[in-house]
Amino acid sequence: MSEAMAHKRPTLLNAFIYGFIVLWLVLAAVPFLWTVWGSFKVEADFFSRESWWNAIFGTATIRETGAAFTGDGYYGAWITRDFWKAAFNTIIVTICVTSISLTLGTLGGYALARSGKNYAFWILIAALVFRAMPHITLVSGYLLPFFQLNIWGVLPTSIIVLVAINQPFTLWMLHSFFLSIPKDLDESAMVDGCTRFQAFRLVIMPVMWPGVVTTGLFSFLLGYNDFAVTAMLLSADNQTMVPKISSFLGSIQETGNVMFAVAAVVSATVPLFILVLFFQRQIVSGLTAGAVKG
Amino acid sequence: MAQIRLKNVSKRWNKFIGVDNFNLDIADQEFLVLLGPSGCGKTTTMRMIAGLEDITEGEIWIGDRMVNKLEPKDRDISMVFQSYGLYPNMTVYENIRFPLKVRKVPKEQHHERVMAASKMVELDDFLERRPAALSGGQRQRVALARAIVREPNAFLMDEPLSNLDAKLRVSTRAQIKNLHHTLKRTTVYVTHDQIEAMTLADRVVVMNKGVVQQVGTPMEIYDRPANTFVASFIGSPAMNLVSGSIENGVFSSDGIRIEGLPHRASGAVTLGFRAEDATLAEANGQIEAPIYTVELLGEATMLSMRVAGELVSIKVGKDYRAEIGELARIAIPASACHIFDQSTGARIEA
Ligand SMILES: Nc1ncnc2c1ncn2[C@@H]1O[C@H](COP(=O)(O)OP(=O)(O)OP(=O)(O)O)[C@@H](O)[C@H]1O
Ligand SMILES: [Mg+2]
Repeated sequence: MSEAMAHKRPTLLNAFIYGFIVLWLVLAAVPFLWTVWGSFKVEADFFSRESWWNAIFGTATIRETGAAFTGDGYYGAWITRDFWKAAFNTIIVTICVTSISLTLGTLGGYALARSGKNYAFWILIAALVFRAMPHITLVSGYLLPFFQLNIWGVLPTSIIVLVAINQPFTLWMLHSFFLSIPKDLDESAMVDGCTRFQAFRLVIMPVMWPGVVTTGLFSFLLGYNDFAVTAMLLSADNQTMVPKISSFLGSIQETGNVMFAVAAVVSATVPLFILVLFFQRQIVSGLTAGAVKG
Repeated sequence: MAQIRLKNVSKRWNKFIGVDNFNLDIADQEFLVLLGPSGCGKTTTMRMIAGLEDITEGEIWIGDRMVNKLEPKDRDISMVFQSYGLYPNMTVYENIRFPLKVRKVPKEQHHERVMAASKMVELDDFLERRPAALSGGQRQRVALARAIVREPNAFLMDEPLSNLDAKLRVSTRAQIKNLHHTLKRTTVYVTHDQIEAMTLADRVVVMNKGVVQQVGTPMEIYDRPANTFVASFIGSPAMNLVSGSIENGVFSSDGIRIEGLPHRASGAVTLGFRAEDATLAEANGQIEAPIYTVELLGEATMLSMRVAGELVSIKVGKDYRAEIGELARIAIPASACHIFDQSTGARIEA
């Protein structure tokens, strides 16, 4: 079928289509592949002033370390500069943000979807307004009270702020997933002998998994990628990965620092790939949302 | 043992009246059908009995308990929903077993009871499938099996046959009738299909716009409709209704004159008679009018003619043939006539 269509298309159009796809692939993938490749070189190669071929052949890398590839950047970032600690903090922050947002979001989204009261609508609108604000506006307002309460700089504080920023979105998303599940399902569960909460737990949640996974992934990404909140609210020894990477770049130049940042960026990206690959089916069915039907 | 009693039950949404002052005693083991046109409050009534809808006013009793404040799960009823409400993530077997599981019925009984219920509705071959892989009729039977597996006090069924094709509807209807006979549970059944109501019911409640119009056995409702609404709703074709006036037992209007009617009524009335009670007259009939259409039904022929501005239907023998426009003489025995007050629509008894 599609082959037959391809035959009918004029060659010029075909060339254009494939050309566009290749161009798009290059734009999307090459910077990342280039970074991965370069993370195993020394700075003199990857940021070479003489010729960018140096980054490919590793001239300076061979001169400095004796081999074409080196793990110096990774060693420096993870061991010397304690990037492992930042990675550990990121794990704590993302897990907490995701699980708290999902717990509140499923319960709240379900309640709002089934309430039928007018104020449910206004709660959702208020949530949308808070979601629309730039994160930094919220954070700057928090700074002074947090200093005075002496809770600035620690993980729980930024977890709470991240949850607050993320909650409107999870609420909206899960709310619309719950709306797509027919009310009959709750009602037949309740007639069959469930309490409202049992109906939610035993009947509605199992049907909701694609929605929960999709929403959970977005919450995860928010916690994982956040810069505004974590950079402002965490002290230097409690930093998560993203502000830590930024501190590699921004501090007074020591040799190898930029390469630490490059290695750290690559380290921080790999888990995302694995995650998306692993959950891709649930994400797709969650986004198309046709999967939840009675 | 479960009688269901509704005392002055009303349901209002702001100003809109869904069900108005509903009073009814449903006997133990009775098969009661709620019948009425779309939007008349049948589902609302049933949902109030089930506890899925708050009652604005009045009391509902199941057995000897007032259930107004009870959760659906504590009312010991089971319900078949208009759209089935099957759990999409569970197999048919798990669907049927679910009520036993949440009600903590001892585990060792589960298998036996699920199998018994599924056998009753002939579902044994589909137990491992998910609802999505079933036809409408099969889904409907899963919903039935899930309702009967627990043997509750009462069954509530909301138009369970509305999504089935005509043939399947007839066979499932028979199955429901038979199930009721076997299980002997009080059953409240909602439908807008009068044939379903007539064939299944011990008693029928006819509703319109949230108000009960008549309660009675199918024959009572057919033979003695309480008002013009019931008369025009029950029967196929519906009862012919002709407006005119009655004086000293003689009803007359344009093209129709019937003598020998009860003397109690007088003045402007609506006269009703059924198509099958009319016959062809030999000499002078009660109706003399030109034929409007002739429809061959196979087992009979349906004539229609215009009388006092209304089209009336007359059922005659299957061999009758006539041309449109020909004059027909129709005899209507006075005993087959119903008389209704023209302003209120209420029946005037002989
Ligand atoms: N939540 C609600 N809010 C306002 N009005 C409602 C609500 N639910 C039902 N109604 C109204 O109450 C009336 C009765 O509805 P109900 O569902 O009982 O009708 P029904 O007799 O079951 O009709 P059908 O045969 O179409 O199922 C309808 O006019 C409907 O619009
Ligand atoms: Mg209904």
